[in-house]
Amino acid sequence: MKNIYTLSLLTFREALSKKIFLFFFSVSTFVIVVFALLFAFISPESFTDGFVSSTTTSFDNSIANGIKLFIIYPLYAGGLFISIFSVSGFIPSLLEKGNIDLILSKPVSRDQVILGKFFGGIAMVFINIFYAIFFLWLLIGLKFNVWDASFLLSAFTITLAFASLYSVIILLGIITRSSMLPMVISYLTFFIFSPILSSRDTIFAFVDNKIVSGIFSLLYYLVPQTSDLSSINTDLAVGNYISSALPLFTSTAYIILIIGLSIFIFRKKDY
Amino acid sequence: MNAIEVNELTKIYKGGRSKIEVKALNNFSLSISKGEIFGLLGPNGAGKTTLIKTLLGIVFPTTGSATILGSDISNYKIKNRIGFLPENHRFPNYLTAEETLKYFSQLGGNSTKNIDKRIDELLLLVRMSEWKKMKVSKYSKGMMQRLGLAQAMMNNPELIFLDEPTDGVDPIGRKEIRDILIDLKNNGTTIFLNSHLLSEVELVSDRVAIMNSGKLLKVGRVEDLTTTKEAYIIETANPIDSDFVNAKYMNTPSANTSFKNINVKLESSTKLSVNVKDNLELNFVIDNLRKNGINIKTISIQKNSLEELFVSLITDERGGTK
Ligand SMILES: Nc1ncnc2c1ncn2[C@@H]1O[C@H](COP(=O)(O)OP(=O)(O)O)[C@@H](O)[C@H]1O
Ligand SMILES: [Mg+2]
Repeated sequence: MKNIYTLSLLTFREALSKKIFLFFFSVSTFVIVVFALLFAFISPESFTDGFVSSTTTSFDNSIANGIKLFIIYPLYAGGLFISIFSVSGFIPSLLEKGNIDLILSKPVSRDQVILGKFFGGIAMVFINIFYAIFFLWLLIGLKFNVWDASFLLSAFTITLAFASLYSVIILLGIITRSSMLPMVISYLTFFIFSPILSSRDTIFAFVDNKIVSGIFSLLYYLVPQTSDLSSINTDLAVGNYISSALPLFTSTAYIILIIGLSIFIFRKKDY
Repeated sequence: MNAIEVNELTKIYKGGRSKIEVKALNNFSLSISKGEIFGLLGPNGAGKTTLIKTLLGIVFPTTGSATILGSDISNYKIKNRIGFLPENHRFPNYLTAEETLKYFSQLGGNSTKNIDKRIDELLLLVRMSEWKKMKVSKYSKGMMQRLGLAQAMMNNPELIFLDEPTDGVDPIGRKEIRDILIDLKNNGTTIFLNSHLLSEVELVSDRVAIMNSGKLLKVGRVEDLTTTKEAYIIETANPIDSDFVNAKYMNTPSANTSFKNINVKLESSTKLSVNVKDNLELNFVIDNLRKNGINIKTISIQKNSLEELFVSLITDERGGTK
């Protein structure tokens, strides 16, 4: 446990030293500042051209929710985009010849090395995502006096979605030692595979073929479910009732499985 | 208890795409006692690095077993008592010397209390204090080796593995490294040294092993390996007639027929190399020389350089496998 903690800290420090953290933090700060300026210069009335008076709380509430709804997907997509980019080099740099030998010569187990990389990456991403979400929530709260904390929960959903992609990046990184391939696959998953697979029911309506639908269902469970998590994220952000929490559990199981597989492969490799 | 105990280790690398199998270690056995400097010699590709990597759990043995500090190599926890300088090591290039030492020391299980003091101490020892705050990406090969050595010593290990430690280091740096190693040994540290540079190893090692193609060819104290038993050099004051060697001495019926192991070679007109089975034979040669009016100046035991032994072993082996 202590080793995993040390290794996570060291991974975190790698992100700091390589200025990855700084880059991420700057982007988050930039987003916060843009919204602060927007809120400072635009009054709630301007959203409705002054038609309705802005004195009722229910009005503020709906405006606040509108803004949340408007920003949550870009936050989710942008957050994941930068996160994937930030961690894509972690495994290849770990496995570099002359470095991995040294790390494996230390009193740490191979399982701990992978878990340290995993949790270190998650910590780095969570801190930045939470930082952005928290200050946006604060700004919206100050502006509209709406303090519904459910918006904050999306920091966890985004991190969970990131973790499911990161586990695949780790697995592919161990197998291929490349940083490019896992990154490209993550982006493809996020922007193409997952959206298609999560709307597979629509596809089934057009294609009436047992084999095709079987393949799609199988793929659905093989690929990180970032689209389903995105829906949950949106629902959470605006305080809606979550239609199905299942993706939260399948994604957690998925992460455990993929990290388990990564460790299994890493344990047997010669370096 | 030995510091290292290797029992019939075999390591076969299965080539990925090429499907070529490489037997990097072939039934390799060795034991190294505590407190000695042990040098492992062999040409490039002999399997030296593979042996160290196997002992450290970086590579897994195909068959056989080994222990370090009395503990099976599969036990990773024992490695907090071990230091390692990998061959061609690469420290994260965004770190400075100071950060590098701290990073790997923490990974080695060092609590943070005395780290800073130890870092200064070691950087001074390897003459790198000046570059403490410089990023390692700007280091020369020699500087990297010095930092690597400091890294290996950081947590005061009982056993240190050094893979080609003087690679890329200038002669003065090499001498400094040798002095550091001797210091370590005097403090009771066991040192396992890999090198293809014979003279380096010869100068510091208590014992050496020579390996090639994954096999152990010879192991022993440097002195014993370089001393060829019952081989002598006889130097004379007056020149020796070559006929003496060829005809008069070797083939005369007067020579006792039981002395058939005697082998004499004229190295120069006043220098004779003599191979004999025992003292009796040696004295027989001396008697013969004296009888023929030759004035003996010195008789000394013949020493081979480690290099000569190395070359003869490796070429024998290469010849043998073909
Ligand atoms: N990871 C590896 N995969 C396949 N073959 C390897 C690997 N590492 C080393 N070898 C081969 O094993 C043999 C021994 O290599 P090595 O232990 O590095 O020798 P040395 O350190 O004595 O130069 C060489 O033939 C080398 O090509
Ligand atoms: Mg080597």
